Amino acid sequence: MTQELELERMGAKAHWKPENLTGKMSLNELLFSNEYRHIALKGIFTSLIMLAVGGIFALIFRAELWVPDVQFLGAKVYMTLMTLHGMVMVFGFLIPMVVSICYYLLPKVLGTERLYWAGAAQLSYWILIVAAVLLVIGRPDFTWTAYAPMSFRTGNPWLWMGHVAIILVAISEFLAGAVLVRNAFSGSGGWKNTPLIAWACGTVGLLFLVSVLPLGFVGWGLLSDGLQWTSVAFFDPSRGGSVEFFLYMFWTYGHPAVYLPFVPAIAIIYTLMPRFLGYPMWSYWSGVIAFILLMLGAMPIGPHHFQPLYTVSGDYQRFVQFLTLLVFIPSVLHVFNWIATLFMKPIPDSARRAIPFKFMIFAIAFIVYGGATAFLNGQIAPDSDFIHNTYWIPAHFHAMFFGFVGQMAIAGFYFLYPYFTGKMYNQAMANAHFWLWQVGLFIKITAMGVAGYLYFPRWVYDYLEMPGWVEAQFFISVGGYLVGLGFIFFVVNLAWSSSYGKPAPDNPWPVEFDGQPAPAASPAE
Amino acid sequence: MENALGIWGPQATLMAITASFTVLGMVMLLAAMLMGRRWKPSYAFELGFIAIMIGLVFYADWSSVKTYAAYQENLNIEEKKVSGIAVGEGEAAFDRIVTVIAFQWGFAFISKNEEMSRNAVVVRPGEKVLFKIVSNDVIHGFNIPVAQITAEIDPDTKREMWIRAPDKPGKYLIQCINYCGVGHSQMKAWLVVSADLPTAEHLNSGESN
Repeated sequence: MTQELELERMGAKAHWKPENLTGKMSLNELLFSNEYRHIALKGIFTSLIMLAVGGIFALIFRAELWVPDVQFLGAKVYMTLMTLHGMVMVFGFLIPMVVSICYYLLPKVLGTERLYWAGAAQLSYWILIVAAVLLVIGRPDFTWTAYAPMSFRTGNPWLWMGHVAIILVAISEFLAGAVLVRNAFSGSGGWKNTPLIAWACGTVGLLFLVSVLPLGFVGWGLLSDGLQWTSVAFFDPSRGGSVEFFLYMFWTYGHPAVYLPFVPAIAIIYTLMPRFLGYPMWSYWSGVIAFILLMLGAMPIGPHHFQPLYTVSGDYQRFVQFLTLLVFIPSVLHVFNWIATLFMKPIPDSARRAIPFKFMIFAIAFIVYGGATAFLNGQIAPDSDFIHNTYWIPAHFHAMFFGFVGQMAIAGFYFLYPYFTGKMYNQAMANAHFWLWQVGLFIKITAMGVAGYLYFPRWVYDYLEMPGWVEAQFFISVGGYLVGLGFIFFVVNLAWSSSYGKPAPDNPWPVEFDGQPAPAASPAE
Repeated sequence: MENALGIWGPQATLMAITASFTVLGMVMLLAAMLMGRRWKPSYAFELGFIAIMIGLVFYADWSSVKTYAAYQENLNIEEKKVSGIAVGEGEAAFDRIVTVIAFQWGFAFISKNEEMSRNAVVVRPGEKVLFKIVSNDVIHGFNIPVAQITAEIDPDTKREMWIRAPDKPGKYLIQCINYCGVGHSQMKAWLVVSADLPTAEHLNSGESN
């Protein structure tokens, strides 16, 4: 029942008609309008700017790492770029982009046609902008994890700006979580009939609300310790504070933080896949159960991020390891659901041609690649061998964050593009973008994994010529630049097509076999 | 080469398992996209698949804990003595005991007779070496690739780890594995394996060679 209803909402109803929304938007509307599509588009385009900024930072330090020894970047500048790359990509691109796409999709899929608590969403956006500005001015170089006591001892006079930015990110994400929860429960028809995107936004919204509290506290503690506001510190061991306290507080947010973009990206799959295939998902309840399990599993397993420290030891270490391995299960439920859905009926030719669908399929490939290999990461023994803080970890999170979440964000963007510009994207340029990203990402992630297996440490701007290290870094840089090239095709495409693209038909995503509408499964019926 | 964690056997098994279900996922995705045959799996099939995955979770947990517990058998013997659970040889199981101070940015190695060296520690081939690691400023890492072992040390605690030195004399990398400030990239040391070094017994009995 549920999924047929969802399909109808996703179909050719009047409110799904493409229109030139971006062309008609006034500056005032863009900045301050509380209309859900305006807020969503503002979030989406800001996130794309953040992606460009974070990407340029990455390309700069990739050039430095291309060969061993120091070329043109000093340690301080390198670490600032690295820190900002991480913060801008996660807090500026991934989380706001998928959340904004959910702001756009939720009112449409639920049929409410409005974003409840839009003022909170507006405030959340502007607070994040202030945080981004503070980060750029303050130029922190303490990595996105801001480990105490290092993060207030780096000798940068504007360091407090980085700590204030952490507090602002927490407030911004808290508001976004509240908006997601409010809207997830706004559909009619009861929770048994609510689409999977609402389940996703409800569960991840709750995760936002709970998990950002320790992040806000961490930001406050770092600020207070760094500026020495009190005689006794929270985290500074030289003034009676505890580093371990910092670690537990930070990673109580830090692990759920990786699900904050991950779950909305999953929600985009559950919304787009039936739309392109023209038939419902393989299982509704399997998806619901997986969302709930993922939410419950996220909080207690944070300590696996600092497991080689003595504070995580003995039975507690085993408890963390076991729950970490178990959190694998909800992701397996999701991936099983997607592959089973693809297997059920013939895949329409229209879907095979559609760029969002292609990005979605390869995003699933990357979640398998990065997720299944991460089965090793959860285990204490291999983690204490070649996994902890070597390049194996960036390989894992670039596969998950970029290969999966980032590509789903782009899939959502291509999907929505005709609806908010009234034009179709250019297929050839979109294909170039698509293939450059798949090839670049695969090279980059695989080379990172190899470097990690050879114990290449994270966060170094200069490295020795150990066997395999130079080759691995070379290939990571090549992959990174291919991704950058793909991004240029993307930007040119979205700018060019918004003026000169083919006008989008009333239903930009018809379900067709050989140019004929699919007989029984057409959403128009 | 034998490494301290004794990990290679169990790790190879788990890497093979991991690789095989990564490939399985890719193959199923490809088949769903390219194969002509269509198939609607049942819930029973999904439950069976999940049951296998949960079985793998139990196996991985058991295998990892077993390996790691064996590695820790002779570590932290002082705490074990306090609790009255000290069994085995304790520090007598090791040929050489070195205290390591990790600092911003480098490692200092202090031998049993208070000889200190910075950024290099000399051991004999095949020796079992116990490192007692402390940090006096920020969180540091301690990773010896050739011995396949990593630990992290925060300023509040002492951390013990041990390695079996390589049989082949030479110079092996020791590196910090956790970002510890702007000098992190330079925080390296060398494990120098040399057959010329006197054994710890020689030193204790006052001999030299």
